[in-house]
Amino acid sequence: MSNAATTVPIGRTPFRRFLGGYGQEIVVLLSIAALFAVVGAVNQRFLSDNNINAIFAGNAYIAIAAIGMSMVIVSGHIDVSVGSLIGVIATMAGTLAVSGYPVWIAWVAPILFAIAVNAGVGALIAYTRIPSIVVTLGMLSILKGGLISVTAGAWITNLPAEFMIAQMRPFGIPSAVWFMVGLTVIAALFMRYTDFGRAIYAVGGNIEAARAAGLNPERTVVGVFALHGFFAGIAGILFATQLQVIQSTVPPNLELTVITASVIGGVSILGGTGTVIGSTLAAILFACIGSALIFLNVSAYWLRAVLGLMILATVLADMARRRRAR
Amino acid sequence: MRKLTLAAALLGFGLMSGTALAGSAWTGGDDQATNPLACDATPAAAAAKDYDGGSPTGAPDRAGKPIKVVDVPKLIGIGYFNATTKGILDAAKELGNVDAKTDGPTKANIDEQITFIDNYITSGVDGILFAANDPVAIAPVLKKALYKGINVVGYDANSTPDARQWFVNQAQFNGIGKALIDDMAKEIGEEGSFAIVTSTFTTPNQARWIAEMSAYAAACHPKMKWLETVEAQEDNNLSFNQATTLINKYGDELKGIFGMTSVATPASAEAVTQAGKCGKIAVVGLATPNAMKPYVAKDCVKSVVLWNPVDLGYAAMMVLRAVADGTLKPGATSVKAGKLGDLQVINGSEILLGAPYTFTKDNIGQFDF
Repeated sequence: MSNAATTVPIGRTPFRRFLGGYGQEIVVLLSIAALFAVVGAVNQRFLSDNNINAIFAGNAYIAIAAIGMSMVIVSGHIDVSVGSLIGVIATMAGTLAVSGYPVWIAWVAPILFAIAVNAGVGALIAYTRIPSIVVTLGMLSILKGGLISVTAGAWITNLPAEFMIAQMRPFGIPSAVWFMVGLTVIAALFMRYTDFGRAIYAVGGNIEAARAAGLNPERTVVGVFALHGFFAGIAGILFATQLQVIQSTVPPNLELTVITASVIGGVSILGGTGTVIGSTLAAILFACIGSALIFLNVSAYWLRAVLGLMILATVLADMARRRRAR
Repeated sequence: MRKLTLAAALLGFGLMSGTALAGSAWTGGDDQATNPLACDATPAAAAAKDYDGGSPTGAPDRAGKPIKVVDVPKLIGIGYFNATTKGILDAAKELGNVDAKTDGPTKANIDEQITFIDNYITSGVDGILFAANDPVAIAPVLKKALYKGINVVGYDANSTPDARQWFVNQAQFNGIGKALIDDMAKEIGEEGSFAIVTSTFTTPNQARWIAEMSAYAAACHPKMKWLETVEAQEDNNLSFNQATTLINKYGDELKGIFGMTSVATPASAEAVTQAGKCGKIAVVGLATPNAMKPYVAKDCVKSVVLWNPVDLGYAAMMVLRAVADGTLKPGATSVKAGKLGDLQVINGSEILLGAPYTFTKDNIGQFDF
C-alpha cells in the first residue's frame, strides 16, 4: 500500500513529487481560491476583512477537531462520538466558569477529561479489538444521553467575560484562527517528523507490517485517541467561548462535519494516508462555501448537497489513485 | 480524474446558485392562509367553534369553596416553570380560597409526569394544572382525573382537547408576527431593511410566524424591506456564522435582524456585537430573557419578544378557579382573569393569554429563565 504523503515515487521531478504528495490539499486550496475569486467578483464585500476573518474563524473549532480526527482515521480507525464529546466539554467548561473556578481551570480541566475519556476509548478499541465504529457509537449515546440527563436541557448563561477565549483578538485576528493555524502546523510537523507520527501512518497502512517492524500498534492507537481527545478538548473550549450561551445539546451532525473535513482534506478512509493540513483547509473550504451560499442567495440546504458531492468525488479519486498505484 | 470530478461538482454548484436567485415573497414562510391582526391593538374576531374540551363527571359544587390545586409542569427546578409557579401562587393568594402547590418531575419526562398526576388523583385534589410533556401520552391520566370529578386545566403545552377542560394558550402566530414587526418598525423606522435568521424553512412554528409577519408587514408597515431569510437549524455556531455573513454581505443596507428561535436571537445579537454594529443593526426576536440579558444590558438589543410566564401561570390559576366556580362554562367567549382583565376564548376550548410580552431593559431583570 502506498503512502502518498511520505513515500517518494521513483523517477519523478521534485515538483511532481510534491503534487503527488499533497494532491488533495492542493485541490482544496485551489477550490478556496476559486470561490474567493468568483464570489468576490459577484460581490466585493465577500473579500472584506470582516468576512475573511469570519470565514477563517467560523469553522476553526471544526478544523481543530478534524486534526485529531485525521490522526484517528490515518491510524485505521474512526470516531463518531466527537460531536457529543465537544458538547460535554463545552458544558463542563461553562459550568466550571459560572461556578466561580478560575478560568484557567475551566479551560484546562475539560481538556484533561477529554484526553482521559478518549484514551479509555482507544484502549478499549486497541486491546479488545472491537471495531472503533461500534465503541464510538456507544460512546456517542453515553455522552449525549449523559449530557441531557445532567443538564436537564438547561442552558448556561451569564458567562464571565474573561472566560471567552474565542472572542479575544490578538493582533486583530480572532484567537480561534491563531489556534487553528498553530495547532495545524505543529500537528503536521509532528506527524511527518516524529517517530510517533510515523508510527500512526505505519499502523494505519499495514498493522502486521508495523508490528513486524517492532512497533506496538496497541500503544499507538491509545496514543492517537488520547491526542484526538486533546484536540477535541481545545475545539470544545473554543466552541464554548464563541458565544454568550452554551446550549445543553450538541450541534446536529457535528461529528459528520468533522469526519467530512478529514475525508475531503485527503485523509483516506481506509487509513494510512492523509495530512492534517488537508483537513484544516477543508474546514476552511466549508466555511467559505457556507458564506458563499448566502452571498449568492442559495439556500443553506445546498451546503449538505455540495459536501456530499465532494465526499463522493474525493473517495472516487482516492480509489482511482490506489488502483493506479497498484 | 480528481480535478474533473471536482470541476463537475463546482459546476453543479454554480448551476444551483442560478436557479435559486428568483423569488419575491418572504422565504421561510409557509403557504397556509394568514390572519394578520389589525395595525392597532384591536383583538382579532374569534372564529366560532364549538367547545371541544372534556367535562368532569360528578364534580361536587365547588362554587366559592376552598379548593386544593396541584400544578404539574413539564419539569420543576428551571427558571421558566419557577416563573409560572410564581404566577399560580400569586393568583391563589389573591383569590384567598385556593390551596395551590407545584410538584413534578425534575426531568422533562412524560412517564414521571403521569406518575405524579396519578398520585395526586389518588391523594385527592379538586383541581389539576398541567403543562404536558406529550399531548397524547398524558391524555389517559387526565381523563382519569376528569372521571373522578377533578377540574383539569392546561397551560404552556397542550394535551388532546378532550382530556382537559380548558387550555391557556400563551401566544398565537398572528400575535407574535405583529409584535415582532411592530418592535422592528419602532427600532429601524418604516423604511428600514432587515433579514431573518430562522431554524429551517420547513420548521412548522417558524414558518407560520414568518408567513404571519409577512402578511402583517404588508398590511401595516408596507415600506419596510425584507432582504432575505437564512437557515441556521437550532445551531448556536451556525446561527452566529449566518448572521455575521448577513452583516458582511449587506453592509450599511442592513438595519435589522429577526431571530426566529431562542438560539438564533442571542447568536444574532452576538454577531452584531462582535461586528461592532450595536446601535446600527437592531436585533429583534423570540428568545428567553437569560440568554439575552448581556445584550439588553449593553443596549445592543432593545426588544425580546416572548410571553410572560408569570402571567401565564396566573391566568391558568384564574381559569381553574372560574371553572370550579362554574362561571366559565362551555360556550363562553371570555373569562375574567383578575388583574389581566377579560381573556378571550379561542379555538373552542382555549383561552388566549393576550398580546405577547416584550422584554426590555426595564423589566428583563425580573425574569430568570
